[in-house]
Amino acid sequence: MKLELRRIHIKDIQLGNETTVKNGVLTVNKEELISKLKEDERIKDVKLDVARPGEKVRIIPVKDVIEPRVKIEGEGNGFPGVSTKMAQLGDGKVNVLYGAAIVTVGDIVGFQEGVVDMWGEGAKWTPFSQTFNLVVDIIPVEGLAPHVHETTVRLAGLKAAEFVGEAGRSVEPDEVLVYEMGSHAEESKKYPDLPKVAYVEMLISQGLLHDGYIYGVNSQLILPTLLHPNEELDGAVISGNCVAACDKITTYQHQNNSAILDLYAEHGKTINFLGVILTPELTTLEGKFRTCDYTAKLCKSLGADGVIISEEGYGNPDSDLLMICKRLEDSGIKTVLITDECSGWDGMSQPLADTAKEAIAVVSTGNVSHVVTLPPADRVIGNDKAIATLAGGWEGCLEEDGSLKCELNAVIGATSEIGYHNCTVKLY
Amino acid sequence: MKNNMSYQIVTNNPNVKKDYKEVIFVEGSFEDVLFKVRDLVHTGFELINHPLGASLRMFFSPYRSIIVRENIDKTNNIYAETIENSIVNYQKHMSVRNVDVVNGEDYALIDAELLKSALDEYERVYN
Repeated sequence: MKLELRRIHIKDIQLGNETTVKNGVLTVNKEELISKLKEDERIKDVKLDVARPGEKVRIIPVKDVIEPRVKIEGEGNGFPGVSTKMAQLGDGKVNVLYGAAIVTVGDIVGFQEGVVDMWGEGAKWTPFSQTFNLVVDIIPVEGLAPHVHETTVRLAGLKAAEFVGEAGRSVEPDEVLVYEMGSHAEESKKYPDLPKVAYVEMLISQGLLHDGYIYGVNSQLILPTLLHPNEELDGAVISGNCVAACDKITTYQHQNNSAILDLYAEHGKTINFLGVILTPELTTLEGKFRTCDYTAKLCKSLGADGVIISEEGYGNPDSDLLMICKRLEDSGIKTVLITDECSGWDGMSQPLADTAKEAIAVVSTGNVSHVVTLPPADRVIGNDKAIATLAGGWEGCLEEDGSLKCELNAVIGATSEIGYHNCTVKLY
Repeated sequence: MKNNMSYQIVTNNPNVKKDYKEVIFVEGSFEDVLFKVRDLVHTGFELINHPLGASLRMFFSPYRSIIVRENIDKTNNIYAETIENSIVNYQKHMSVRNVDVVNGEDYALIDAELLKSALDEYERVYN
């Protein structure tokens, strides 16, 4: 497969009367986008707003972040199986509005977190303080069942990304990135001496606000499955969860999965990258045993010498992470785990909810429980009542000047377990 | 396979108590639900779904529903270890955080939704 990601660098977003990109400025036709989204009868109203890096703006509660793109050559514009008809992804040319993001706000339940601060302390912790954000706040009609509400907001975000992405169709890109990889037989012939490395990406797959989708299929319903890395970079994987703010993998992060990009960069140099195995994190123990066995079997069948495993979430998924690790290490396959830690305010507690002696190579993407102080914003986009949820965590977390203390857990993408974020690892 | 689908839900969620027959209702907290599950596991019950949620936010829920079923086999170490570890982990986090009672109704709703998904998964996996 060969995929060209053609980046058009976006330097600002404006709301206006047309949807275009001129000299790096993305203008979005506000009324047209709103009426497009309101074609869905479940949507009562849509509020659009723009948040730029450096502005004293807080967005809350963020549901998902999506990169606006348009496919100009090859099958599958949009998100096949979800917002557009089924197509095979992974080949072709995609114009990317790089530096822009669609941020959906939807308070499906009152305890959702998901803060993006565009300035100051909060901005340090989320990668989406650096993007020009078109914030799409979806107000549903009354009486929608919660799962219908969730679906409505999810689809609206994807449709908005498609609508905005169209603006880049005829624009010349500022840079072109090419991702090309043949079959396992072809690549192994080219690089016979390089170690074969597979990437296992785990997805929360447990129900409302805890789901992920692959070509529109709810990952609760699958056995672990193999993807060409280009498929994910081309939009095959969609986020349907929004409770685990800091370690939720947004759709944007799937589109730009750092683990995939880093493995691609080493492909043909130090490793032979075998592809992505998407593994559901189920809730039943028998389900976990089945998916973990199956994941290990796929890695073995591919002839992997090493496997990188990234987690999503915290708590029961830790068991899956370590079970996969144990099974692979027992089969003689070296593993590296990528996960965040819940190691308490002082960082001294046991970081995961489970342990395994086989987990000897682990990359930490940050401490979820680390406490940060967020100063008051000049402007809040979304639902300012959601701030009360953040402030209600413990005694003394709301200070007199209106600053609030919260754990990184509340900040979107703060401890991304695929490494698409701002934290780094320091060796002592 | 006649008895394969028999299960009981240990819960402190009033919505679940109302909607399901197979309920062991716990008058108490999330932690009390974990204790009840632990006691059952040590007397030979099988743990069907993991006692913990999939994100830290769900630890702050006032409500939790966990599926168990009576097992003819003797106590299985995996189940005992899982529930005991879950209790230690839960207590670690809740030593510094409050239960989010303000959003109690929403947590009750999501707990019931996640239970429904877990039961669907149980039907798919255990048959």
